[in-house]
Amino acid sequence: MTLFIQTIANGLLLGGLYVALAIGFALAFGVLDVVDFAVGQWVMLGGFIGYFLWKWTGIDPFLLLPAVFVLFGGAGYLLAPLIMRVRTSRYARPELMVLAFTFGIALIMRGGALTAWGFNTRSISTGLGGVTLQGGGIALPGLRVAAFGFALAAVGLFFLILYRTRFGLAVRAVAQNKQSARLMGIDVERVSALVYALYAGLTGMVGVLMAAIYSVTPEVGVRYTLFAFFVVVLAGMGSIAGVLIAGFVLGVLEALTAVYVSGTLTFLVVFAVLYLSLILFPQGLARRGRS
Amino acid sequence: MTWAHVRRGLALAGLLVLLSLPFWVNAYILRIATGIFLWAGLACAWNIVGGYAGYISFGHSAFFGIGAYAAGILMGERFGLPFAGALVVGVAAAGVIAALIGWPTLRLRGAYFAIATWAFAEMVLQLANVLRITGGTAGLTLPPLLDERLFYFLMLGGAVLTYGLCFVLLERSRFGYRLKAIRDNEIAAETLGIDTTRVKLQAFVLSAAITAAFGAIYAYWITFINPTSVLAGDITDQMVVMALLGGLGHLWGPAIGAASMYLVNRLFWSLWGNTTAYIVVLGVVIALVVLFLPDGLVSLWPRTRRLQVLRALGPHPQQERPTVAEEQR
Repeated sequence: MTLFIQTIANGLLLGGLYVALAIGFALAFGVLDVVDFAVGQWVMLGGFIGYFLWKWTGIDPFLLLPAVFVLFGGAGYLLAPLIMRVRTSRYARPELMVLAFTFGIALIMRGGALTAWGFNTRSISTGLGGVTLQGGGIALPGLRVAAFGFALAAVGLFFLILYRTRFGLAVRAVAQNKQSARLMGIDVERVSALVYALYAGLTGMVGVLMAAIYSVTPEVGVRYTLFAFFVVVLAGMGSIAGVLIAGFVLGVLEALTAVYVSGTLTFLVVFAVLYLSLILFPQGLARRGRS
Repeated sequence: MTWAHVRRGLALAGLLVLLSLPFWVNAYILRIATGIFLWAGLACAWNIVGGYAGYISFGHSAFFGIGAYAAGILMGERFGLPFAGALVVGVAAAGVIAALIGWPTLRLRGAYFAIATWAFAEMVLQLANVLRITGGTAGLTLPPLLDERLFYFLMLGGAVLTYGLCFVLLERSRFGYRLKAIRDNEIAAETLGIDTTRVKLQAFVLSAAITAAFGAIYAYWITFINPTSVLAGDITDQMVVMALLGGLGHLWGPAIGAASMYLVNRLFWSLWGNTTAYIVVLGVVIALVVLFLPDGLVSLWPRTRRLQVLRALGPHPQQERPTVAEEQR
């Protein structure tokens, strides 16, 4: 029983990170109408940039997170106009062309990381590495708890921006109806670019946390793309609230599979559930089109 | 002498050059030519679903791997089948699996279809990693047959058959018109009485079967397969890039794209001995083609039929698109 509770706790701690990973992705989908195949590559790059910043400055990675956010936000802001251009082009099937486009971006990121840094594994260590929280028969690594707390704080801030600011109102308006939003005087291109920047920054920060908890290689990106897809598909594409639940479902599912079935089968199970939920509940478990 | 005569003469000369190639070029160039035909066939197979039906599949590596593993398993010591038998079984297996997978998956559209096929391919990859019959991560070794000429002719034959079949089915038959109608407007196609589910499924099965056939030949050619070499996403990546670069939904596009990308691949290999930088090239090519040449290299040829023309009849992109829930159905 202790093992079970421990497993669930581990899963929930991981789940918080998956929520942070997928929430920006879900918003970017809602606003830009783009499924970004590069989502996991942002996580991977976040891990590497965090690693090099940490090596270079010697500052604890947790304190470097704002810098990573700014860097990745800037990169996202610069990339967004290109994505918007493809998405709104007059050419046949723009929604498929943009899919191919982000797929190409993902290949550039992965190939670039492989070329620059090779196949070696790198890991970030923080001051929290040795701390463990004990209680009720279970042990929680301090690092994971801190990462969980940080992820929740970031998600909370994200919701505050989305539901309590004028900018958030504009974002939600664009997600609902671009043409009407434009008529209300909203600069749709700028809002979209900012949303993409927000998403890239948030995802980059998650990458640093993931690299601190596990480690980072150029090949991990694909895995995080899968996780982000899993969460948003389960939540229902475009549903921001559903992401909160689906992220934890993924964390717990992964932890349970690793402990009770086999660590090598984790991906098989996650992919199988992703596939089945796409087939069985194409609108997501929340049964909502978009928020 | 008319233009038609000249064209016929050129085609005949080209065919003669291709048929005689193994007898006057060295082994290195022959291997490159073999590779070009392999990828030209694969890109054409992907194009049936991706270009003609407008369903972007990120899962074709699964069918390539199924073909390769069918050859690997059946030609191994346990079964000892001849290559032809293994090829037939592999193609049939891929066709059946494609039908089973395609039936539910083809109801999804756009990105959902792409994600679902991707998840399926990764599932197959993970399965091959843990199953005993596939040899796990260690892979399988096939009985070696070191006859480069034979493999050249096999790949050439496969490619010629593939393009011939695609020409007849996609450019000269009702089936092709139906597929294009689905790509351009699925709802309109359905109102015209096209059984879209059936046509899409036929295209998907055809595409998967061709991919598996090339997988089987490839396995026999390379003689060693493991999950990363025949099931990894890199294979799908290349098929997508080649079809996109050449020209989506165009018969000869994939062949042009495959030839150019494969030559770039070999160039990178011979210059730097690694192919990680090649992944970057794949990505850059996709991005540039999507941004500046969405009809691919074939559109550089004057008077090429373009998807853009068909687009003019479709809805304007600025109009409100159907909601996600509507697109789902």
